[in-house]
Amino acid sequence: MTVPVSPRPPTDRSLRRLRRLRSGWPAYLFLLPALLLVAYFSYFPAYLAVTRAFTDWDGLNVGGFTGLENFRRAVTDPVMGEATRNMLVWVALGLVLALVPPLLVAELIFHLRGRRRQYAYRTLFVAPIVIPSLVLLLVWGTFYRSDGLINTLLSAVGLGGWRHDWLSDPGTALYSLIFLGFPYVDAFSLLLLYAGLQNIPQDVFEAARLDGATGWRRVARVDLPLLRPQLGLIALLSVIGNMQYFVSPLVLTSGGPGFATTVPALLMYTTATRSGEYGYAMAVAVLLMVAVALLTAASRLMSRRAS
Amino acid sequence: MSASGLPGRVAPRAARRSTWSAAEVARQATLLLLGLLALFPMYFTLINSLKSPTQYARNLLDLPVPPHPENYASAWAQIQGPLVNSVVVTLVSVLATVLFAALAAYAFALMDFPGRHLLFALTFALLLVPEFLTLIPLYVQVRSLPVPDPLLALILPTVAIGQPFAILVMRAAFERVPRELLEAARIDGAGHAVLLARVVLPVTLPVLVSVAVIRLVPVWNEYLLPSLVLPPDRVTLPVALVTFQGSGASGAGAPNYGALMAAYVLSALPLVALFAFLMRYYVQGVTSGGVKG
Repeated sequence: MTVPVSPRPPTDRSLRRLRRLRSGWPAYLFLLPALLLVAYFSYFPAYLAVTRAFTDWDGLNVGGFTGLENFRRAVTDPVMGEATRNMLVWVALGLVLALVPPLLVAELIFHLRGRRRQYAYRTLFVAPIVIPSLVLLLVWGTFYRSDGLINTLLSAVGLGGWRHDWLSDPGTALYSLIFLGFPYVDAFSLLLLYAGLQNIPQDVFEAARLDGATGWRRVARVDLPLLRPQLGLIALLSVIGNMQYFVSPLVLTSGGPGFATTVPALLMYTTATRSGEYGYAMAVAVLLMVAVALLTAASRLMSRRAS
Repeated sequence: MSASGLPGRVAPRAARRSTWSAAEVARQATLLLLGLLALFPMYFTLINSLKSPTQYARNLLDLPVPPHPENYASAWAQIQGPLVNSVVVTLVSVLATVLFAALAAYAFALMDFPGRHLLFALTFALLLVPEFLTLIPLYVQVRSLPVPDPLLALILPTVAIGQPFAILVMRAAFERVPRELLEAARIDGAGHAVLLARVVLPVTLPVLVSVAVIRLVPVWNEYLLPSLVLPPDRVTLPVALVTFQGSGASGAGAPNYGALMAAYVLSALPLVALFAFLMRYYVQGVTSGGVKG
């Protein structure tokens, strides 16, 4: 298709658009690597996931269209039900662990006298980031063993009766995985909350002091409301993160004993990689994604209404 | 957990001002205790990495006397290859992430072209696509990808996954570059490539380093995708550690926890070395760009 060149300024809209497109070529060149990568390695797999959820895809052949069969199976499967209950427990307890310890430590650091001291303690709590997450998992895995550190400590303080095979007992396995990683002070959350406290203007604290709000009363009346954006973000990230997390059950318990530590994301992974039921796995993934999207939208709405 | 750790109404003014009041001591003691507990896994792996199986079985918390440094030799033999693979994957992925994101962020921040808002929205929307959704299809897709080296099958998707976050942060940084600086260079005849390389990147270097360091941690720790796409002889550290642990713990004889712990220590060393120099970039990155209200 050739474009007639006219000496007059172009009046034809498509012609003008073509010119703009052509003048934009350096920009498209700059964008090309990033866009190619995300198109092929992010958008295309997402498209595959959503479309293959309606088929009996086996990972090799496209598979026949099965309609909502995979979804029907997912919502009626009793294992999926148990997995969902485990996930809800995990999300609820994980939310407390994501919010309370970092907030407590951020407040304690913020109340220290002197910037130097605050800086030193902030560094102390960021330092554990050098422990690779898999190493932390595996080390805690050894803590939980029958001859591991936790049982040894229990015996040492005279609580030998509480000894457990923590990860093999269906009653404790899930909680052992959830409460792995004491003292749960995530560096990212701590830094976010501490920076939030630093951003509160000094006269707000001064006014609170004159009103007699000090100590924990000031934390409740001044800090918490003003840290709302940070706490909201941490809560959202924690919920979304824990809904899709399955590394520790995969590595430490394989979802067992029984299905005591199985979560939907782990089911998705194992039905695909071990049973070869990729279509069904994608249906589970899509259901999870819908839940994540709804939660994100709800939290957006809530934060908009609050502000 | 008691309220006494905070400055109370009862405390006289002078005491509250002092740097060593009772409340201050309580706060510091609590923080020190929690901080050391957070670092305890490091201490635990370090001391036990130097123990023989009998020493490990006898006591988990005492110092290794005599120490058994030969654990490190057997650990090194096991994870030497994976350690190199991890370093290669992490360095190449992070550098490529920053490079491609810088190009895209420059276009989004400082160039005008049709479709700019749409393309940016498409990039940004990817932050909302959860990683577990694409994990399995990505694995299937990468499995059949013709790449000259298996590590590339991991590096390419890793770079792609890092793009939305990096582009978002870098676009914001590029938009803050003073216009006079850009205009001056443009008058001197600089094109877009020169502007980016000579003006924009040097001015925003701290942000680039922050993006790199923040992205580096999850890439170094990534387990799921590497465990799926890498052949057994070319795995990265997290995958190797899980395999090593499995073989050590299920073996017929007493598992050599010392060698296992030595492998854990070795796998943390690159991060220790990095954060010794670059921790402030991590802190700055999280505290400045973390939340927009």
